[in-house]
Order: sequence, then C-alpha cells, then structure tokens
Amino acid sequence: MGTNTVSSRAPSRRQVLGGLAAGAAVTGFPHVAGAQAKAIRVGMPTILSGRVAILGTSSRAAAQLAFRQINEAGGINGRTLELIDRDSKGRPDEAAKVTRDLINNDGCEIIIDGEASSGAFAVHEVIRDLPVLCLHTCSETSSLSADPKLHVKTAFRCARQGIHDAVAGGTYAARNAKAKGLKRWMTCSPDYAYGRDNTAEFLEFAKMFEPSIETVDQVWPKLFAPDYTESITKILQTKPQAVYSALWGGDLVAFIEQSNLYRLFNSITMFSGGLGDPPVLTAIKQLPPGLNTAYRYNRNYPAKPANAAFADAFAKIAGHEPTNWAWQVYLGCLFIAEALKRTNGRTEGTALAGALKGMSIAAPFAVGDTITMRDSDHTIIGYPVAWGRTVPKAPFVEDFSDVGWGKIVELETQWKKSKGYA
Amino acid sequence: MRSGLLSPGLLRDVAFAIAALALLLVLPMAFPAPALRDFLIYFFAYGLLAMSLNLLVGLTGLVSFGHAAYFATGAYAFGLLMQTGRVSIPLAMLAAVGGTALVALVIGAICVRLKEIYFSFITLAFQMFIHSVIVTWVSLTGGDQGLRGGIPRPPILGLDLNDARVLYGACAAVFVLCILAMRQVSQSPFGYTLRMIRDNPARANFLGVDVTAMKLGIFVFAAAMASVGGLILALFVSGAYPEFAFWTTSGEAIFMIMLGGTTIFLGPLVGTLLLQTLNHFVTIYTEHHGLVLGTVILVIVLGLRRGLADVVYDWLQGRRTTRPNTPAGPTPEGAEPAPLPDGALKSRIV
Amino acid sequence: MNLEALVDCLSSASCAVTQVSTGLIVGMLLFLVTSGLSLIFGVLGIINFTHGAFYMMGAYFAFTAYALTGSFLASMAAGAIGVGLFGMAFERLVMSRVYGRDILMQLLVCYAMILILDDGVKILYGGEYRMMGMPDVFALPPVEIAGGFVPGYYLFMVGVALAAGLVLWLGINRTRLGKIVRALAINPQMVGALGINTTLLYAGVFGLGSLLAGLAGALAAPIRTLTPGMGVSILIESFIVTVIGGMGSIAGAFLAALLIGFTRAFGAIGFPLFVDGLMFALMALVLVVKPSGLLGREAA
Repeated sequence: MGTNTVSSRAPSRRQVLGGLAAGAAVTGFPHVAGAQAKAIRVGMPTILSGRVAILGTSSRAAAQLAFRQINEAGGINGRTLELIDRDSKGRPDEAAKVTRDLINNDGCEIIIDGEASSGAFAVHEVIRDLPVLCLHTCSETSSLSADPKLHVKTAFRCARQGIHDAVAGGTYAARNAKAKGLKRWMTCSPDYAYGRDNTAEFLEFAKMFEPSIETVDQVWPKLFAPDYTESITKILQTKPQAVYSALWGGDLVAFIEQSNLYRLFNSITMFSGGLGDPPVLTAIKQLPPGLNTAYRYNRNYPAKPANAAFADAFAKIAGHEPTNWAWQVYLGCLFIAEALKRTNGRTEGTALAGALKGMSIAAPFAVGDTITMRDSDHTIIGYPVAWGRTVPKAPFVEDFSDVGWGKIVELETQWKKSKGYA
Repeated sequence: MRSGLLSPGLLRDVAFAIAALALLLVLPMAFPAPALRDFLIYFFAYGLLAMSLNLLVGLTGLVSFGHAAYFATGAYAFGLLMQTGRVSIPLAMLAAVGGTALVALVIGAICVRLKEIYFSFITLAFQMFIHSVIVTWVSLTGGDQGLRGGIPRPPILGLDLNDARVLYGACAAVFVLCILAMRQVSQSPFGYTLRMIRDNPARANFLGVDVTAMKLGIFVFAAAMASVGGLILALFVSGAYPEFAFWTTSGEAIFMIMLGGTTIFLGPLVGTLLLQTLNHFVTIYTEHHGLVLGTVILVIVLGLRRGLADVVYDWLQGRRTTRPNTPAGPTPEGAEPAPLPDGALKSRIV
Repeated sequence: MNLEALVDCLSSASCAVTQVSTGLIVGMLLFLVTSGLSLIFGVLGIINFTHGAFYMMGAYFAFTAYALTGSFLASMAAGAIGVGLFGMAFERLVMSRVYGRDILMQLLVCYAMILILDDGVKILYGGEYRMMGMPDVFALPPVEIAGGFVPGYYLFMVGVALAAGLVLWLGINRTRLGKIVRALAINPQMVGALGINTTLLYAGVFGLGSLLAGLAGALAAPIRTLTPGMGVSILIESFIVTVIGGMGSIAGAFLAALLIGFTRAFGAIGFPLFVDGLMFALMALVLVVKPSGLLGREAA
C-alpha cells in the first residue's frame, strides 16, 4: 500500500506545488491555472487519519482507479482527470477550509466530498458559496438531499440514502418476522443522530409491513465505544427473538466478537445495517453464519462481470476488498466523466449540474440496467438495497434478496410528505 | 505609577490597533488570493480562542482544559439566533457573547474555587458535559451533524457580508477590537491584581483582594472573548459543529499558546499563526501530518523548552541589556519571569 | 428510570450474576489501564497523556506477535514488555526533559507523541479494522454460574487484572523497593542523597506504568477492534477513573473503576440513557466535594 500511495501522490504533489505557486503569483485569477492546464482537477476532502481512516483511504483508492481507467480510455476531449485529495482529520471546519482551498487555490473544478456526517454538511455550505459541481459520496443522512431547505443547485449525493435502506430493511425484516414468527425485537444502535434516525426508520417500516412486531427494549451504546458487554448482557436478560443494530465499522466488529463470547447469536436472530461491508466481514475472526445484513458492497452482487472486475482492480490498489464508500466514489467518478462528456469538457458548476440532473448510467452496481441521478432531489436510485445472510466463506454474504425500487420510491414519497419535504 | 502609564499606554495601543487593522485590510488587496483571506479568518477565530485562553493561563495562572466550550456556545448561540431570521448580525453577536458570559458565570462560579490541576480537570468535565449536551439535544443543535442549513448573512448598514471581501473586513475589525479589549483588561489595575494572584495568591488574599471574585471575573471575560472567535468561525463556515466543543479544540488552543509563549501579550497569536501555517502546508504535502506535526512540536518543546515568542523576546532583551543572557537554563523555573507590562510592546510581532 | 427492572434483576440469581460479572469485566480492564496512569502520577507527579496511545501499542504489539507465533502467551508478553520498554525509552529521551516544567509543556510533549504514534500505527498497519482473534484455549461456551453466563476469556481477563493490581499493591506497600518508590514520591532529593539511582527508578516506574497499559491493550486485542486512534476513548475513561479515585492512588483507581463498571452494568438495566452523563456528573461532584478524589491524599 505504501508504494502505491507514494507513486500515486507524487505527481499530484508536484502539481499542487505548481498550483500553489500559480495561485500565489497570479493571485486573483487562481482559476486560470486550472483552466490552462491540461488536466481537469477534482478535489476530494476526506478523512485520512484517526479511527475512520479507512473511509478516506478506500474512497481515494476508488477515485484513483476510476480516473486511471478514464484517462487510459482517452480522458475527456483529450484532457485528463486529476485527483487532489486532502485530509480533514474528521473536523468539519477543517473540511470547509480544505474544500475552499481546493477550489480557490488548487484550481479544482469539481469536488468529490468524502466527508462523513457533519463534515458533509460543512462542505455542502461551501458549495453554496462557491458553486462548483460537488458529489457527496459518503453521507447517508436523508435530509442532505431530501430537505428542500438544504438544496444546493450544484450539489448531488452519490451514496445510499438512509430512507431507502430503511424501506428495504423494513420489508426484509417483516418478511422474515412473518415466516419465522419473530415478534419480540430489540435494537442496539450507536447513540448519535444517524444511529437513532436509522433505527427509528427501520422499526417504523418493519412495523408497517408486519404489525405483530413489538419493540421490547432498546440499548444505545456510545459511538466508538470499545466495549459492548453491558449492552450484550442486557440483550441476554431481555431475551428478544430478534435484534436490529445500526452499528457499523470497527464498532460492529467489536460487537460481533464480544457477542460471540456469550454465544448470543445461537438463540437470537440478528439483523444488521452495517455488517455487509467487506472490511467489517474480513476483520471479524469468527463470523457466525446466518446473520442477516443489509447490502453494503459485494463482489458477487449484482452478479455482473463489470462488478467483479471492479472488485479485483480495487483490491489491487487498496490491498483489500472495496468498501461501501469505494463503490459510491467509483460511481461518482463515472457520473462526473459522463457529465463532462455531455458538456463537451466544460466544467462550470451549473453546466455540469444540468447534465447530471436525471442522468442514467450503466454502472457495474446497478440492480437493473442503470443507476439514475434523480432530477428532483439530486440523489441516486437504482443501486443495490438488498439484504443477505452471512456465510463463513469469502465474500461472506450470499442469498441476497432484493426489494423493488418501485415500492421504495413510493414509500419514500409518503415519508417525504410526512416530513414536509414534498 | 500605574495610573500614570495607563493613558499613554492606551493611546499607544489604539494607534497600534489602527495600524494593525490597516495592515490586515491592505494585505488581501496586495495579495488578492481568496485562500489568504480564508486563512486569515481562521487565524482570527483561533487567535481569539488562544488569546482569551492566555488571559487565564498566562495572566492568572488558571490552566483551563475546557476553554473551547465557550468557543462552541458562542458559535451555536449565534448560529441559532441567525437561523431564526429575525435578528440582525450585531444583535445576534451581542446576545451570543452575553449568553456565553452567563453560561461561563455559572460554570466558573463552581470551577474557580478549585486549585491548580483540579481546576483543569473540572473545566474539562464541564466541557465534555457541554459537548454531550450538543450531541444529545438533536432537535435544537442537529446533534453530531451540526447546525445545518447555513447561517444567513443579512446586510448590516448596507454592507453585504455575502461578499467575501466585506466579510473578511468585518471579521478583521471585530478581531482587532477584541484584541484591544483584552489588552486593556490585562493592562488595567484588574489585570495587575490577576498577576498578583498568579504569583502569590496568599499575598493577594492578605491584601484584601477577593481572589475568587477576581478569578471569576477573568473567567467570564475570557469565555466571552472565546465566544467571539467561535461566532466568527460559525459566520464563515456557515454552520456550527459539536467538534468545536470537543476537548481536542481546547487542546489545540493550549498548544497554540505554548508554541507562542505565555509571557508576552501577543505570544499566543504567534503560536496560532505557527500552528495554522504548519497545519495548512503539512496537510497539503502529506497525509502523515500527525507524524510531521508531532515531530515539529517535540523539536520545539525539547529544543527551545519554551514558546517561540518568549525565546525571541529573551533574545532581544539579552541584546538590549548586553548582559550575558541566560535563556532557558536547565533549572526548572518555579517562578515565571516577571511580567513585563510595557516592555512587551517592543516585541510585538504580527 | 426503571427501578422495577433493577429490583427484578437483583432478586434473580442469573441476572445478578451476569450483571455483576459485567461490572467486573468493564471495570477491571479499566482498572488495569488506570493503575498505570495513577502509578506514574503518584510517583513522578506527571500526567501521562500518552497512556491511551500506549494501550493502543500494546494491542498492536500483541496482534503482531500473535500473527507471527500463534501463541497467546507470546502476544501478552509482547504487548506488556514491548510497551514497558518503549515507555522507559520515552521517559528517558523525552519526558525526563520536561520534569519540573509547566504541566502544559508535559501535555504538549504527550500530544506530540500521540500524533506520532497514531500516525505510525496507520503507516504500519493501514487504516483497516483489525482483530487479533480469540485463542483456541478460550473458544469455549460461556461458563454457567447460578443460571448466569460468564465467558471464559473474561474470567481470565478479570483474573489477570486482579493479579496485576494485587502484585502492584503488595510491591509498593510490602517490599523494600516499594518503600523506596514511596519515598521517591515524597522526597526525591533525600532518596538521591542516600545513594540510590533515582534516574533509573524514575525510568523504571514509568516503564512499569506503561507496561500495565500495554498489558491491558494486549488483553483487549482479542475482543476489541484495533484501529489507529483507539486509545482516545480509553484515555478519557481512565482519566475520569483516576480523578474520581484520587490521583496517584492505586486503591482509589480500583474502587473508582469498579464504581464505573457497576454503574454501567446496572445502569444499562435501570437508567439506560444516563450512564454517560452520570460519569461526568460523578467526576464534577467528586472534584467539588473532595478534589483529591475518593482515596487520594490531599494536594501537596
């Protein structure tokens, strides 16, 4: 990984230097530097350090992969795409600062926002101020695109959206609950806005489809808690039939391993929103079979050669299987390339936004033929929202069952009305 | 003797402030890169945080680990008021500063009774408490996702703050005004009482000084000044985030004043400039900024053993008096170097 | 608040056993980390803010040793001894240079070290989540005690923590070396005047404190996720424990860690949403009522 990072960074570093020099010398016309250069610069503020560093490193690897492929195929009207990534250290004000710098100083004409939660909203505000094209590739918070008050003309979400997952999860849970008679449910989710919203929406839809489901108790471990013993023993005491958890990443790895010590999953059916992410699955040493999980990414689903090819190419760069963030970034790059083609290489935010609205592309990850960037609220539909079951062998999840997008969109519309968003 | 100095001191400070403001306003005209303005606005925000913290640490000897709590309350109070859409910016600023002062009054009344390290701990505890309130009270603050939807910038007196240059000018003016206010406080009789409390609290008490009240006074004032820093940042990034109240933000403020030095009035600004610059460039060139930043801090601390501004100041003093100077001797200094009220002016950097 | 559930639980043997064991499990690992922090403060008078990073190093050392040798004992030894030696080197090369200086200088040095160690781990191991894996010896179903269940590994972990705490306490209070260390905490000049090498002692005590953090990290490696920056939350928790128990008091650390452990275990049953707030409130309360902590000496 080390050599990869160095070699891929080396050119960008030099060009950043050039950009800086140009920015400082030709002060006042920083865009000139970008416009005259052959490459189209794409900036990526993301988190490359600390506990969720894998978010940034896997996002970056996916963008590097996509840009290399696009450039090898001839680029955009002879111009190449060039990635400039920068670490926000997980601080929203820093994310705002590096985004502004990327646009103002480094001549980036497009932003891929690889920031989580609060950072994504901070970048969103920068884009309101400096209207270049921006694709959020990490934030799943529904309001970012669903709330018309937050709408920014040149900002799009190229990532899963909480409400879509909730409808799919609710449908799947209800189906299982009916088939296996799972009535007593408990939840164990991280105590922060995303964890709480995600859990509430999951339960709302599960109960809508299967009214016999009853929430007997809820535990809320702290986000990034290292130890889940008290939550696990609480679940043991309450003896629910099923548990839903919105835990993700390293927290989920610890939760599963610690639950294993108590043989928790022998008697309880587990439904997880985050287990389907390959790095989580690989990190867990003893993955119990038969846990239900939402799709995050899988090389075998959708079962397309292009998808497997993406997984192989990504693994070669990053040294591990793609993350959920990786496919989202990769898809975002495909959208950017297609939009640039349609504008004939023009990079103005409004022009690109116009091209992107309602665009459908044949992506390796499309459940049907295409994934569409919805015109009305700038968010994608048609991506995989399936649920599957864990098995001990890589890629660890199989037996995916899909929920139709027609139904998801219908229920999403109802939800938007109830929230006053539509 | 002091009262005699005060008036010309004030005049000099005001003249200096006007010159500094003029410089700050001219600078972006000479180098009109937006990045320079952005950089300076962050410098103003964190500079105020560091300067106000030094009123506690350097001036009074109160080592607060939780100063960013007030930076955050300022940002949130300001942001929430502006989002109602019914308040003008100056009014929201005053209310945010006043509100923060009130919060600081309550918390400070408990904290300043504790001594030394225990004061540090309890300020940290209250900061974590405020952070958890921000994260938990989702309906008001947006929780971990921060204050969303942007902070509107209605024009004040015909000035359109949505114009980046005007926004910069306004922030520069507020910044200089606050520094001037802090300077006046530190040079006032109140400020000298605080120095006495720092150097010898027993003596101060013996002389009839109400030590607790004095400490509380500076605690509230420092918090109010920190809140101005917070609201500048909120105005600029058009949002407020729980990270503002996290202990790492307080930590960074401490590093800024340690890098700059605590004895000279403007030392913390030197530290802020140093850390911000370092952070800016290191982030551009490498993702391993932790490694680089950590190493640089170690070298400075172990090599110089004190803040940069302090070292420069000592060096200047040493040259001036032409005595064989003894900077950074190996003996740990229990008593800090004597406060240098007016001499400090000579080594103002920035 | 759900007091009824709490009473129900306490009156049922199985629930009581499970929750008491939970309290011990949560508390004892915390105690192990905290005892090192407290020891260093008690003798050297400095707060080692890198303690959380040392815990992280212990976990990664154990992870590497286990991956290389497949031996759990080797992994524990690597975590404990590796970090202990690193701690001694850190004390000699860095920390000793800021003794007697402003506490802020010490804080700054520690912060720099945390930045370097976190980044170092990321460079060596990448940002991915890592898990050491449960050794085969402990891959058993949980032990049943009066209807409650306790995993075998946790019994071992609590045992190690208790043993380490006991050895530490006996070592300080019942041995000649312990007497010297206690004297060192009160009057280092006198100890030095008696011809005892205080420099070596300081390094030794710092190394021992670090070793405890490393041991805790190694014990946590099979059950907790390894990521860069994993030491931060541990640092904050152990800091709270140290303050509540009394800075520099091993027994206080033990008491406070148990208190936190049981608050979380029974809090999960009786008052699930207050637990975090309760910890801060407890810390603030202790500071206001008795700043030196439950079992701490009055501030010198």
